[in-house]
Amino acid sequence: MSRSSRRFLCCLAAAAGLGAAAAAAPTWTDDLSPIAAADWNAERAAHLVERAGFGGTPEEIQHLALLTPQQAVDSLVDYQKIDNSAAPAFEASGVWDAGMDPFPPSRAEAVRLGREHGEALGVKVLPDGSPRRLQPVVDKFFYGLRANSIETQRLGVWWANRMLTTKRPLEEKLTLFWHGHFATGDAKVRDARMMLRQNEMLRRHAEGRLRDLLVGILEDPAMLVYLDNGENVKKHPNENFGRELLELFTMGVGRYTERDVREAARAFTGWTNDVLQFKVDKEQHDFGDKTFLGRTGPLDGTDIIDTILNQDATGEFVAAKIYKYFVRDEISPAVKAELGRGFKTSRYEVRSTLKRIFLSKDFYSPASMATQIKSPVVLVISTYKKVGLRELPTVPDFGRLTGGLGQTLFDPPNVAGWAGGRTWITPATLLQRGNLFRDVLFADAKNFRAPDRLMPGTYARVGENIAKGMNITEATKEGTGDAESNAQVDRDEDYNTRYASYRGYLMAFERTKPIPRRVADLSLTSMIAAAHANTAEAIVDHFAKRFLSVPLSAKDRAAFVEFMRGKSVTSEPALRELLYLVLSAPEYQLS
Amino acid sequence: MTCSCSRRDFLARGLYGIGLGTGLPVFLSRTSAALTAQALQGTSMERHPERILVVLELSGGNDGLNTVVPHGDPAYYRARPHIGVPVREVLKVSDHFGFHPSMVGFERLYKDGRMAIVHGCGYDHPSLSHFSSMSYWHTGVPNAGEALGWLGRLADDHLDPATRNLIVNIGTSQSLAVRSGKHSPLVFDDPARFRRDGTDDEKHVLAALGGDSAKSSNSTLDFLAATARNATDSSDFVRQASASYRTPVDYGIGNAFGGGLQRVAALINAGMKTRLYYVAYQGNAFDTHVQQGDVHSRLLMYTADAVRAFLDDIARIGRADDVAVMMFTEFGRRVEENGSLGTDHGTATPMFLFGKHVKGALYGQPPSLTDLDDGNLKMTTDFRRVYATAIKEWLGYDDTDAVLKGRFDTLAAFT
Repeated sequence: MSRSSRRFLCCLAAAAGLGAAAAAAPTWTDDLSPIAAADWNAERAAHLVERAGFGGTPEEIQHLALLTPQQAVDSLVDYQKIDNSAAPAFEASGVWDAGMDPFPPSRAEAVRLGREHGEALGVKVLPDGSPRRLQPVVDKFFYGLRANSIETQRLGVWWANRMLTTKRPLEEKLTLFWHGHFATGDAKVRDARMMLRQNEMLRRHAEGRLRDLLVGILEDPAMLVYLDNGENVKKHPNENFGRELLELFTMGVGRYTERDVREAARAFTGWTNDVLQFKVDKEQHDFGDKTFLGRTGPLDGTDIIDTILNQDATGEFVAAKIYKYFVRDEISPAVKAELGRGFKTSRYEVRSTLKRIFLSKDFYSPASMATQIKSPVVLVISTYKKVGLRELPTVPDFGRLTGGLGQTLFDPPNVAGWAGGRTWITPATLLQRGNLFRDVLFADAKNFRAPDRLMPGTYARVGENIAKGMNITEATKEGTGDAESNAQVDRDEDYNTRYASYRGYLMAFERTKPIPRRVADLSLTSMIAAAHANTAEAIVDHFAKRFLSVPLSAKDRAAFVEFMRGKSVTSEPALRELLYLVLSAPEYQLS
Repeated sequence: MTCSCSRRDFLARGLYGIGLGTGLPVFLSRTSAALTAQALQGTSMERHPERILVVLELSGGNDGLNTVVPHGDPAYYRARPHIGVPVREVLKVSDHFGFHPSMVGFERLYKDGRMAIVHGCGYDHPSLSHFSSMSYWHTGVPNAGEALGWLGRLADDHLDPATRNLIVNIGTSQSLAVRSGKHSPLVFDDPARFRRDGTDDEKHVLAALGGDSAKSSNSTLDFLAATARNATDSSDFVRQASASYRTPVDYGIGNAFGGGLQRVAALINAGMKTRLYYVAYQGNAFDTHVQQGDVHSRLLMYTADAVRAFLDDIARIGRADDVAVMMFTEFGRRVEENGSLGTDHGTATPMFLFGKHVKGALYGQPPSLTDLDDGNLKMTTDFRRVYATAIKEWLGYDDTDAVLKGRFDTLAAFT
């Protein structure tokens, strides 16, 4: 076949596909009725696996395309039937020694404990008269902070690897949804154990019932800490928890009064945690009558949840958020009302609402297809999936890649979670979204510096100075500009902060398991050979089909073909260069 | 032709003044370039289309009482026997107030009449959490989970979304304050790293991608393609403007904050059409729980030096009439010092406005140091009044209610 006739056929195929989609346009948008088996095709199967998971390889898409839409949706949503026991559990480093719980909220508090009790965080202060008596306590405090931060990085890598390798992609995609919905950040919680427990709880109930998720999250230590519910006591109710429950987790602003917020806060007084264990402190709980959303009685937290679940607003608010995450940014009032009604009637079963969405004509309408901007986590994981990786590359570092784009697992920006949609994109992040794949495709393992073993320069210099034989005062001086103030700090204190920070890093490096470092194990030459693509055009078309949800413009396709022309089609570096270009196209941000 | 057609003027007009490749002569004066920009922006209703607001964030909770020191109030010295600024050292601006001695830069700005101090700024039911309180100041909607920033909403309501780079945020990540529904803020930290990676061949291909300006049927793709074009153009512009900017003004010790302000000056000088700039300290710098004396003194010095230098620099390049600065922090600190020669999280705290058109004075009611709420100052000025002042009196948008989701009186702080 000549080059021009092949291109002609390719254009015909594309035109046919677009024609079908265009014909659906006026009627399918906002139509929640299921699509017919006759309307099922590879393009729609690809869309389903993009949204209900992290995308798929051509083989996986082909497999779904051969099922009926109902079977395809069931195969993704009824994931409890799939054996996923091979998914590795998180292996904790075991950084929390006896005496470290509860962890003091600040260094000042650790120092106070040390002064008053002669020990804190499981270590004793030095005998009276020793220089820097409190140094061991402050060392241990910084160790706790650094070690926890490394554990949280490890947790992020573990989860990312699970997203990539799981047999139940929707389970992870949903867990990520709930993580953003019930946003909780380790920067404040400072306890990777709590973050893991929350993650497991969200995963356990991800496709189940909203009530289980709500009870789970309101009894969740990480959330209790994150929203300061430890300070929600009978005498001074703290409204933070009650307010976020109503505003962000269930009903949305404007559907309740300020009085409802205060009364909910009273009902949750005394709900607190003993480190990893939820408990109700009866001394601090207000057993009096409350009036909440029209219901009066000695309500407690569970009564508040059940009252909230009786509101139509709750079904609509949560269903709309699910819709926004899986379908598109804007929801029509009619779809919102209808999905909300269905969600509430099903006793808030997430699974059935998801099936309805994934089967709906609306989900496959042009307004929904290839109109969503991938979140940073989805961008990276889905790329790894589509190139066929079976293990998460860690050079470059996953957390740094997504963090640089505005999304760090276990650290949403605030209690409202990630705003998503177009807010992911700035000119700088858009360039970065391309650049990062260059770092993956041409990974530089030799010059890689692992963030879980990286000591900031200030503290690394302390170590170098100590190695040179300096004493602590000399070793912690920072240049001439700061020398005077640092000398003052040293003179006046019974511990040295900079030294403690250095020691904290060292101890944390010793006692946390390192993140295993590996570059992406991929072969584009094999991928291209398997696809029988042996011309520049065929390779560009294969990459476009495999990676892009929208067709390339003729001009961009021609530019890629031109780039590839003259290069060997069996050259791995050349193929990687081309793939970098394709992944840098604006089209690639769309799911 | 007699104009000094420097490279930056050419760049400014080529990329931002009148559009690329239009074939128009490059000798348009700055005024006519601004008029053209205005016309292109389609916002002829704007009263002050040339005016720029620069917002500065002191992250971590700046100790307002040791910044604007109430040296005339014995209660201050009772509450702070060890860390109070001795009365003889205070740089006095009135019988009751004065600056921390390290803030020579602010003393000068105040005496020049280029600085307004607004006492006791805060909000009802204050949060003592950095994260929550900062998000309330960012969104301008306290005790709620508003998703967009107040500057983002300001841009959504009043600035043309088709014009690029109306918001610039210097920083490693985008602040919630500038998160917008319609605009894509230009966020960058190091201009030298704001670039496309790759070989020349690769970059050549990528620079031309999405070049067809024809609208597709996919508005998200159009948005991405427009942002990609903007990134390609803007990154070169920002890199070159920053790299070529030379100023004799001393911004103080080389720190990120002063560096950020100098980048803003470089972009204004290069003719960037940005109306809203945002510069923040990184990582809770002002969170001075322990031994705060030296570190707070240094931070205040850096800050005062940098702001003073920025205003002088802006005057030097002839744009003093067009630029105002607002500075805030997420909360002040407890009145009483703690046991570690530092201060814990507090509530009300002063805000600051700077610029040639600011009416230099003290505004608002100073909070009492004895009538406290659980050890914390009772706020006297809702911080959104200062936002409203900047929106209405400076930028010239009369309707502040919609942006701020409520009615807030302005302070009459601008001429």
